[in-house]
Amino acid sequence: MSETMPASERSYAVLGIFDTPDALMQAIPKVRASMLGAVEAYTPYPIHGIDDALGLRKSPLGGMVLVMGILGALTAFGFQYWISAVDYPIITGGKGAGSWEAFIPIMFEVTVLFATFTAGLGMLFLLNKLPFFGHPVLSSKAMSSITRDRYALALEAEDESFDSGAALRALQAAGALEVEVLPAPDRSPFLTSDFILRVLGGIFAACVVSGLAMYFATKWFPLLKPMVYMQDQPRLNAQKPSGFFKDRHGMQRPVAGTVARGHLPTATGTQDAAAALVNPLPRTKEIFAVGRKAYANRCEVCHGALGNGAGSLTAAYGGKPANLQAQQFRDYPDGKIYWAIVNGKNAMPSQAADLTDAQRWAVVHYVRALQRAQNAKDEDLKVATP
Amino acid sequence: MSQNKNASSLLWGATALGGLGVLATYLLAGHERFWANWILWFVLMFTLGLGALFIVALEHLVSARWSVPVRRIPERIATLLLPAIPVGLIALCAIPVLYPGARPEAAHHPILAGKAFWLSLPFFSVRTLIAFALCVLGLAVLVGGSLKQDTTRDPAFNFRARKFAPAFMAIFALVITLIAFDWLSGLTPEWYSDIFGVYVFAGAFLSGLAATTLSVLYLQDQQRLEGVRGDHLFNLGGFLFAFTVFWSYIGFAQYMLMWYANLPDEVIYYKVRLAGAWRVITISLALLHFILPFFALVTRAAKKDPKRLRQVAYLMLGAHVLDMYWLIFPVLGKPHFSWPELSFALFFLGGILLWLRGAMEKGEDMPVGDPFLREGLEFRL
Repeated sequence: MSETMPASERSYAVLGIFDTPDALMQAIPKVRASMLGAVEAYTPYPIHGIDDALGLRKSPLGGMVLVMGILGALTAFGFQYWISAVDYPIITGGKGAGSWEAFIPIMFEVTVLFATFTAGLGMLFLLNKLPFFGHPVLSSKAMSSITRDRYALALEAEDESFDSGAALRALQAAGALEVEVLPAPDRSPFLTSDFILRVLGGIFAACVVSGLAMYFATKWFPLLKPMVYMQDQPRLNAQKPSGFFKDRHGMQRPVAGTVARGHLPTATGTQDAAAALVNPLPRTKEIFAVGRKAYANRCEVCHGALGNGAGSLTAAYGGKPANLQAQQFRDYPDGKIYWAIVNGKNAMPSQAADLTDAQRWAVVHYVRALQRAQNAKDEDLKVATP
Repeated sequence: MSQNKNASSLLWGATALGGLGVLATYLLAGHERFWANWILWFVLMFTLGLGALFIVALEHLVSARWSVPVRRIPERIATLLLPAIPVGLIALCAIPVLYPGARPEAAHHPILAGKAFWLSLPFFSVRTLIAFALCVLGLAVLVGGSLKQDTTRDPAFNFRARKFAPAFMAIFALVITLIAFDWLSGLTPEWYSDIFGVYVFAGAFLSGLAATTLSVLYLQDQQRLEGVRGDHLFNLGGFLFAFTVFWSYIGFAQYMLMWYANLPDEVIYYKVRLAGAWRVITISLALLHFILPFFALVTRAAKKDPKRLRQVAYLMLGAHVLDMYWLIFPVLGKPHFSWPELSFALFFLGGILLWLRGAMEKGEDMPVGDPFLREGLEFRL
């Protein structure tokens, strides 16, 4: 025999098997009194009062969950407060920046999230030390009956001085029907810090290698285009240079004095020059409906429903939109009103991007109708004959 | 025994003194204040009794076994509904004084005119009477049947109660919603909140639980309720803990939606309660009704510690009084608290304690005829 015992002859624990939970409960104080090692019980189902009998420490999980829950609440509050009151303070729905009432639902959710994750993961990985490579008790002969109808008490070795013979006798004295010595596994079944470090190191190394590989691969072998035909067509692209025209611009101004197909003449010069333009649209019910709708959408907030310059936004901005009922504007030719719509005037922005040619001219018709309605003459009262 | 007598005469004395103060309030402090106090104590008695009856019904509904040994306690507390009925009948006199919907001006009010029939004195009274009748029905079946079982030992009661319990839950929801809408939110009839009945339910259940916990501890001090252990206390403590969260969840949800939408007819309710001295009361309500009991009961050990449970149960009963005060008293303007409120508290607290003391001495302390009593005593966590 060598001086140190081979690993296989050291024992992990001694198991004593009992056939009723009562026998187990009665044996626990006797075995604990022997002070030979750590006492642990293995039963097919939870037994009332066994925690107290084994003298198990209070689980630290509750405290961890409480701390993480509070941390979750603070995290959620901090994030939301920082976003809405510090980084980008913005008033939404009339609530001031950093309104805590709105944060509460999120804080509640994140509290629950942090707390449940801590409870679940903390129980499995921190306290139960999962995953492990196989608990030594699982390899005992009695294991299949422990999961069915037997109750085992284990005296587990705490250090080298563990005396398996004495433990065997203590369990027998406490009334164990069978006893079994479990040999110590040749290495720890649990994840040691050494193992965890090696796994983390491996993951880190893999990340570094693949990251570097990616970097150099894209640097040394530039991206190959698998299908070039659609990407590189010989055509004019908006906002892109082109060799087709002399000035090498892809986008060209319209040739002076021309009108694109499907478009109406537009007002590009001064307002006085535009006075010569004639409204190309007929005065039909449909055209008036188009004009009325466009006017309601784009013009009414400032110029007002009657065109008198008293729109709903006027007070808010303090500006003075044109009173289209004024003599000056009633005397305007159609073209000058059209020019103002296209180019904007004073504080009024251009409406060209929002109204099509046809809509602009329809609005002109509608403004004319508004002016006529507010300054009706006697002849307007005559009923039009169909 | 002499100590018992002393306590009893002290209670009678306090009640009599409080009664004088109540009379003086009616004569000197104005009718509105008198009726506001009266309604406060009517609602408190009623919610306490109804909350206790809910605990009894809940046990039958889910066939709970752990609570069988302590069931007689909420049954006894539920009998508070009986003295609450005359108090409520007297409170009907308050309707024309305090409830704008029942006053003649309501006919010309743009909003109240549409609700005139619902808010009128006759229909208001009829609804309250229906609620009282339904409570008496619940008491007769659940509490009366259980008391009778002590002598008959007939397990048929358990089957009857189990069948009746689901129906009683519907009855309970109706009664507590009627009481909450009529007597509490009826004070501000332009204001409405769908969840208000649930909010009042949470408070009622909590007050019933707190009173049950206190009474269990009181009887345990006298070496009665043998066999009721920390495991039973743990469940009572767990319920208390859970429902402080439920109460604040409902209370905050109601507040937050109204705060967010900011509609004038909804938000006025909180505008009043967040201005001036009411603001202090609102904040202390959140602290006393949620934060403090939550952290007092959060650990496992606290939920079965008799000392801690007693403190939290007193706190919850106090917080429930504050909650109902917070719902009712803004109708008078700024918070009122001086001798009329103290007299009412003396009178009604004395009366309630006298009634409960009497109830605690009557009959068996446990439902000895219940076949599940043994199983309940053996309950372990």
